[in-house]
This record gives sequence, structure tokens and C-alpha cells, in this order.
Amino acid sequence: MKKNSNGTVPIIVDNNRWVATDGRLLEVEDLEVEFRTREGIARAINGVSFYLDQKETLAILGESGSGKSVTAQAIMGILDTPPGYVTGGSVKYCGVDLLTLPDKERQTVRGAQISMIFQDALSALNPVFPVGWQIAEMFRIHRGMNKVDALERTVSLMERVRIPAARERVDSYPHQFSGGMRQRIMIAMAIALVPAILIAVEPTTALDVTVQAQIMDLLKQLQEESGMGLILITHDLGVVATVADRIAVMYAGRLVELADVIELYSDPRHPYTMGLLESVPRLDTRRGETLPSIKGLPPNLLAMPAGCPFHPRCRFAIDQCATGSPPPLESLEGYKPERFAACWRVGDSELAHSGHPQSGEVN
Amino acid sequence: MSEKVILQASELVKYYPIKTGVIRHVTGHVRAVDGVSFELHQGETLGVVGESGCGKSTLGRLLMRLEEPTSGSVMFDGTDMYDLRGSAMRKLRRDIQIVFQDPYTSLNPRMTVGDIVGEPYDIHPEVAPKGSRRKRVQELLDLVGLNPEHINRYPHQFSGGQRQRIGVARGIALNPKVLICDEPVSALDVSVQAQVVNLLEKLQDELGLAYIFIAHDLAVVRHISDRVAVMYLGKIVEIGNEEEIYERPTHPYTQALLSAVPVPDPELKDSREQIFLAGDVPSPANPPSGCRFHTRCWRERTDDQKTECKTVIPELYEHADGSGTHLSACHFAKVRYNLV
Repeated sequence: MKKNSNGTVPIIVDNNRWVATDGRLLEVEDLEVEFRTREGIARAINGVSFYLDQKETLAILGESGSGKSVTAQAIMGILDTPPGYVTGGSVKYCGVDLLTLPDKERQTVRGAQISMIFQDALSALNPVFPVGWQIAEMFRIHRGMNKVDALERTVSLMERVRIPAARERVDSYPHQFSGGMRQRIMIAMAIALVPAILIAVEPTTALDVTVQAQIMDLLKQLQEESGMGLILITHDLGVVATVADRIAVMYAGRLVELADVIELYSDPRHPYTMGLLESVPRLDTRRGETLPSIKGLPPNLLAMPAGCPFHPRCRFAIDQCATGSPPPLESLEGYKPERFAACWRVGDSELAHSGHPQSGEVN
Repeated sequence: MSEKVILQASELVKYYPIKTGVIRHVTGHVRAVDGVSFELHQGETLGVVGESGCGKSTLGRLLMRLEEPTSGSVMFDGTDMYDLRGSAMRKLRRDIQIVFQDPYTSLNPRMTVGDIVGEPYDIHPEVAPKGSRRKRVQELLDLVGLNPEHINRYPHQFSGGQRQRIGVARGIALNPKVLICDEPVSALDVSVQAQVVNLLEKLQDELGLAYIFIAHDLAVVRHISDRVAVMYLGKIVEIGNEEEIYERPTHPYTQALLSAVPVPDPELKDSREQIFLAGDVPSPANPPSGCRFHTRCWRERTDDQKTECKTVIPELYEHADGSGTHLSACHFAKVRYNLV
């Protein structure tokens, strides 16, 4: 047992790892991030709240500029400052607010207990060091192992993520691997110290579908073995549907909907989620007429519209949507686990249940 | 769509030499495209799908004649385009145009939208006389859903989806008969992707264009294509109409590919059977002998059959698919349903 620097909540430490006594690994509350640029202040995240439990997969879904990657960076504490600043909110890991921890203590969490897989494995790996050296760095720095032991652990880790002939390839450089293999090396680095939380940013976007399936399967296995919580950050509605337990949908730096995966796909409640689900061409729909699309473009973060940020593109918008402050994320009645949506008209009969997923249509 | 064949590729081959050492000695070849044949009808969309490195983009470049083929021919309107020289070739280039993948790098940042879309007219002045060009460019911008007033803006003032519209406007400026779209929507966000797909379909209806639609996203390809060709390591392994490929595929690679695509419906995830392929795509510099897919094939075969796969290259033949036949290059082609 040890007290954290805030002096309030005791942290149970087990094998260098903090323990979430109630199973709640991460709790993000009212997180706010802004980028101070020459053109003005861009509010990239405006009051985002969510939690993650053990063994759970939470997907954060959003398009470019929605703030999903910035959320991940803020949780990890790897936001580029300047221009990015966390201006409010808290990120609690096992009950301890990471944002108020001194850098040195935070370092023991980052990488070892909360780790991250980056989107582009080729640019995330250092091209001038062998991959084995880069993976072994985790053991040398966080666990203080010597080179020989660290390398030994690395080889077994590479076997874990199914890199063929791991012992021979441990001295190869990143460019000597294919895209799928590089992604496996990234995963090996991220899971090296058995993290409690893994944040995966677009882990399969750069990969072909057959390899994509292998990687997602691997992540799932790891999760089952260690009880790791997974935050999957992506824009791919297909991947999300197959692996996520709960989904948080982001738009222009806000959470607009948060729900269980089945409920979100079968009965989306926010007009943006509806539009998104309708506009995806699906494998099981025939060559159709026009694909429903959301009109217009996502807003510029430097010139946000008044009211709800989605209202200029929303087909249900009313006068109230265009003025005042954006609608808050509110709990909807009668759902377990709780589900949330941020829309003034969410209870309205015209809007409720009007999102028709394409599977219901016959072309 | 009509019955008239506008483009016919036969036995197209493109090898790139691999050079090593100080004297740049040729030690091998990357077989990017290795014997591809197909027909494209007027006003039709042929989708080309496959994983990275299967040669689909090289195929697009060959059809544009941005690359000279190692062997093979492409007949366009009755003439072999690789035999044409000088002004005859220049004239033909008007009829085959391309839209590139990345709208951020395929537009010159120092040129205005008007200059970008109007540049084809500098090269082919006979299409639009100088006086009428500005008006013509504005018409094109209007046609692709951009504000004609924005003719003097620069690419960075547009979003990704709008930039791709500029690329499409440039592609159709010369009234081509064939438009080659090389991953035209894969760099775009979902909500914007649908807008560009709809634009391409609208233009096809209005202008009677034929598309070669190269993409790795099988769902988008199904949505837009009349016929689909599946490529693996430089060869077409299966080709047929949209229904034949997606509902009744007979090649094990097509089947694995389809089963691997995640469907955006969580309720289907347990009912869909997924075929996992082991390993990565082999290097096109040293493709496997016999059937190129045999190293990753998941289908159960006897030892004799396996030997045949390893030694005999399967050709595209008509194979029964349960309701008719379509072309597939597998010795043991067998239909499989309910993959999507």
C-alpha cells in the first residue's frame, strides 16, 4: 500500500501495477484541450467524459478533426505542449488523477501501465535501431533488466505476437518487415509490460483486410488473458462493430453519443450517428442508387458555429439548435448500461427511432 | 451500360527490373502485373480489388500509358494504344483520364483551382478555345458540386472531399470515355466519402463514362461496380458481375477476402464465419510456383491436389457458381455462399 502524492486515495500496488479496487480502470471527466495557434485558439476537446472497466473494449469513433486522437494523447500525457494544453478536467487511473501527478510518477504509469499503439508503425519505429533493441528498451528502462535478459524476453514476446522466426529476426530493422509485421512489433512493445490499459489509435487502418483480421484477433486474445482494458480509436465502423463493447461517438471535440455497441448500431439516437451509419456502403447491400450522405463538412475548430456544432449539417435542426450553448450529454432513460446523447431533440418523437440502419432496407 | 467494348486488355504484363550492385546489374524482376486480360464496356464500372502489392495501381498506370507494358496489348476503340505515336497518342489521351488517390498531393498547391482544372485545355487546346475556357471550367466546378465563384482559390482553401471533387473535375475536363479512379475515396472521411461516390455515379449517368474503379474497400466497390475483378500477386483470380463475386464467389482467395471484411453490424458478428489467412502476401519479386495463392490457401485438399496447385498455374475458366458460371482461376473452384 502506498499513498499517492495527492495524499487522498491509497493505491494498492501489486507487482509494479496499480490495482483498480472497483474494476474501474479509467475515468475521464470533463476533459478540455485547446491548441493555441497563431490563427487563434482551437478548442480540440470540450468537456469529454467517459470511463473504462477491466476487460472492456471502448471504441472512440470520429472523423478527422473530431478530437479522438487528441483525447488519447491527453490520457497518455504525450500531448505536444505548446501548442496543445489540457485546460480542464481530470483523467483518473485507478482513482488517481494523472493530470496532477508529478512528471516522474506519471512516467511510471506511461508505457508500463497505460500504453499505446500508434497508427503508422513505420514512422513510430526508429529506423536506425533493430526492432529487438527497441522492444527490449521497455524491459531495460522500466524493469532495469540487463541486455541479455531483456533480449531473451523480447524473443518470447515476438513469438507471442506471432512473428515467424523471431530469434533470427530480432536483429532486423523496421524497413525489413511488412506492414502487418511492423504493426505486430508495435503491439509487442505496447504489451511488453502487461499494461492495464491499451490505447490503440487506428491500429489496422494501414493494413489489408486479411491482416487486419489477424491483428484484431490477437488483441482480443491478449485482452482475455490479462484482463486488459482496450480503448480503440478509429473511424472504421466495421472494425468497431466486431470488437467494441461500448462506443463513444465524437464530433467537433465533443461526445455526441455514448452507448452499448448493439444499441448504437440498431437504434442510433443522435442525428450525426444516424448519418454516419447510413453513409457507410456495406458489403451486404447491393449496387444501389444514391448512398445517403451527410451534407456539408465538419466545422473548422477555429470558427465553431453557435449552438450545437452539428446543426448546420443536421436534417432535424430547429431554431434552438443554432443558438446558445451546445446541448449537454444527457443520460437517456431506461437503458442499462447507461446510454447518453447530446441533442436537444433526443426525446422528440420525430427523431426517436428514425435512424434506419441499412440492414433494414432492401435494395 | 451498352454491349460495346471500349477497352480490351489482353495478357498485359509489367515487370520492373531489380538492380543491385555498383554496376546496377539486373538480378530479378518484380512481377507487378503478370498476364491480365479483361474487357470494359461503354458506360460500365469495372471494380478492381486486391491487397497492397497485388498490382492494381500498376494496372491503372498501364491503362493510362504512364508505363509501357513488358508485353501484351490494350485495344481502345479498335486500335492498340501501345502502337500509337505522336499526335494519334495525344488524341487518345483525351479519352482516358485518371483521378488519383490522395487529394492532398495530387493538386499543385501553387496553382489556382481554375488553372488546375483548365490545364488539360492547355495541352489539348482543340477541346475548348481559349475564350471559352473560364466559362467551361466554371461549368465543370458546378457539375462536381463546387461553387463556380471559387475558381481563383488555391487547393489548401478546400477540405479533402472538396479537393477530390477538383481532381474529378480535372479528370472529366476533356470529356473522356474512360475514367480510371485509383482509390478515389480511401483518403476521405466516411460522411464525405459517400458524397464523392454519389458524385461519381451521377457523372456516369450524365456523361456515359466508363470507370475502372481501383480500391481495396470491398464495400465501396460493390456499391459502385457493375463487374468486379479480384487481383492477387499480379493476376486476376476471379472476375464476374457484382452479384457473382459477392454472393457466389468460387475462388478461395475471394472468399477469404470477403469473410475478413468487418460488417458494420454488431449483431452479425457471431453469425459470420471468418476465414483466417495465414501470413502475408508473398513478394511479387519471387511469387510462388503454380497457383500463386497455394502458400496461403485454406481449402482442404488431398496430397495429389496440393501437388497440382504447387506445379500447375490455374487459368481463368468458367466455373459453376450455383446459378450460372463465371471466370475463376482455381483448379478446385467451388462456390461458397453467405460470406457477406
